[in-house]
Amino acid sequence: MRWLLFFGFFVSLNAQNKQLLYGFKEVPQQILLNPGAQVDYRGYIGVPLLSHIHFSAGITGFSAFDVFADDGKDFNQKIRDVVYDMDAKDFFGFNQQLDIFSAGLTLRTSLEDMVFISFGLYQESDVFSYFPKDLAVLAYEGNFNNLNRRFDFGQLNVSAEVLSVFHIGVNKKINSKWTLGLRGKVYSSIAQASSTENKGSFITYPSANNNLNHIFDLDMKLQTSGLSFLDEPNASAGTAILKKRLLFGGNLGVGVDLGFTYQHAPEWTIDASLQDIGFINYSKDVKNYILDGYLEYDGIQSVFPQVVSGQTAQDYWDEVKNDFDELFEIDSTTTSYTKWRPLKLNSSVSYNFGRKTDKECNCLDKSDTSFQNRVGAHLFAMKRPNHFQWALSAFYYRKFYKGLQLKASYTVDAFSFNNVGLGMSAALGSVQFYIMADNLLEYQNLAKSQSVSLQLGFNYIFKNYEN
Amino acid sequence: MRKQSFFKKILAIIILLGVCFSCIKDTDFEQSDTLVITPIMEVNLVKAQETPDSFLDASGSEVPFISDLVVLEVFTSDFIVENIIKAELVFEITNSINKAFQIKMDFYDTADTLQHSFSIDIDNSPTNSPLITEYVEVFENMSLLALKSTSKLDITISLASSPTGSVLTPDSEGSIRLTSKGVFYLKISS
Repeated sequence: MRWLLFFGFFVSLNAQNKQLLYGFKEVPQQILLNPGAQVDYRGYIGVPLLSHIHFSAGITGFSAFDVFADDGKDFNQKIRDVVYDMDAKDFFGFNQQLDIFSAGLTLRTSLEDMVFISFGLYQESDVFSYFPKDLAVLAYEGNFNNLNRRFDFGQLNVSAEVLSVFHIGVNKKINSKWTLGLRGKVYSSIAQASSTENKGSFITYPSANNNLNHIFDLDMKLQTSGLSFLDEPNASAGTAILKKRLLFGGNLGVGVDLGFTYQHAPEWTIDASLQDIGFINYSKDVKNYILDGYLEYDGIQSVFPQVVSGQTAQDYWDEVKNDFDELFEIDSTTTSYTKWRPLKLNSSVSYNFGRKTDKECNCLDKSDTSFQNRVGAHLFAMKRPNHFQWALSAFYYRKFYKGLQLKASYTVDAFSFNNVGLGMSAALGSVQFYIMADNLLEYQNLAKSQSVSLQLGFNYIFKNYEN
Repeated sequence: MRKQSFFKKILAIIILLGVCFSCIKDTDFEQSDTLVITPIMEVNLVKAQETPDSFLDASGSEVPFISDLVVLEVFTSDFIVENIIKAELVFEITNSINKAFQIKMDFYDTADTLQHSFSIDIDNSPTNSPLITEYVEVFENMSLLALKSTSKLDITISLASSPTGSVLTPDSEGSIRLTSKGVFYLKISS
């Protein structure tokens, strides 16, 4: 038995697509992306808190450079250009993951039968927002030049959550072709806020006699849970609440990941996985805010007192003021709610070639006889509130030595059409190290990129006896 | 062989670390200090419609004027006071009464001190066809300050004599209608 030090540390700035990690056999974290991935080591232990640190962020529609370029152009004009270039389908996403602990081991159920069990606890943060174009235009222009334009408040779609996930997965090689995997997850939501079910509009249209009619139709909702710690005056008490929630003390949910690998022939591999088929039920520490109202306002009717007395000037105003107060009155409830986790799909097809052969037959030689090259295509898709976010990658994997593997990828997604990535896993003595980065073409100036990614890491792994 | 592979690995790590420490060039992130948006909001204000009998007393003879006081606390709201840079009050008066009028707008603050005032002359309509008078009062600088302290608007419609105008009786036809809107030019900076 040989122990390998394999230290996992991820820093990635992309929208949850881990195209370099997916299918990268030498990196144990790939089994979190596909529970049915092929595993050819006996086990691994991630260094607590360091085995998987991941950040990702992506934005469509513009890059920081468009706005912050030091080009002498008026900053507000640049912002304005960006706002007008974007539409309500553009979005911003941020995701962060931190492994608290993770490990995997092979269990021999009989002489021939083995299953690979992996488990761990990770913390995840996720923020996602569509660009509320109509609200931005209203803020920029007001309604003055926009008579008859319906400002759609339903475009406001924002969600944010911090949760911890305990998971345990089973991975089994059924036969020479099929490897199947299943991972069960228990989610514990630490804090959550979302406003994703908004409807409503504001419109101003001219009626007869140059009169204006303003119609407010509001049906907006903000759901929150777990935010009461913010009111905690004592910071350490607040932290204690958060720690408790990290360990199943939050709003709970369950989910599964499914995956398979099909080795059609030694050269051909097809694999796919679905992550986070699950939901969380929010019932503890829930506070919902509801803005629901309809108002047509067409001015304050002045009735000259000589005609009708009894109504004072203050009454006219109070009437209008009450209407508006009522319109914008926010009701709060503590009704529990359920949210689906964002479903993620990964799938790839790859072709292996270039088997290393020895010129002389030597039965005692333990040199690597596996394929040295692999090319393939990888599809990533993720369920967002109003659309599927997708990415398509072509990749090339090359095994240089037993201890050095490289993978290059070219990815097309909503963020860009020129995303080139490179990943490496290297064994140095008993230490295995890996580093992965995408959007390399943008690294000369990160401000120009709409999403960037960097991952690097170490883990302890147990290799197979025969290795 | 062993040494060579070690060297290559180190080289690869150095190259990739170089990639990690890439830079952000030609940018000035301080620019965001100056974010300014300038929306223009258009809001309906006071409207009124009166017929000739509104200008007659119990005995059926003309009164010199009628007036109404409208409370408008919108101008003194914190949001308006802090962000407004210009305002226009746009009036449209449609008169189909064969009588000339003068409409006077007096702006009072909470202490009932007159802050601003203007009047609009309305021609009589000899044939009772609607005559439209448009009037825009622009509030900038000093008058804008006056508007910001206004909480009440006193509207006085006075009867005016004109060569072709008639004397109002209960049988006089037509109506005088007033609509008004405020156009608020805002400048909101971060």
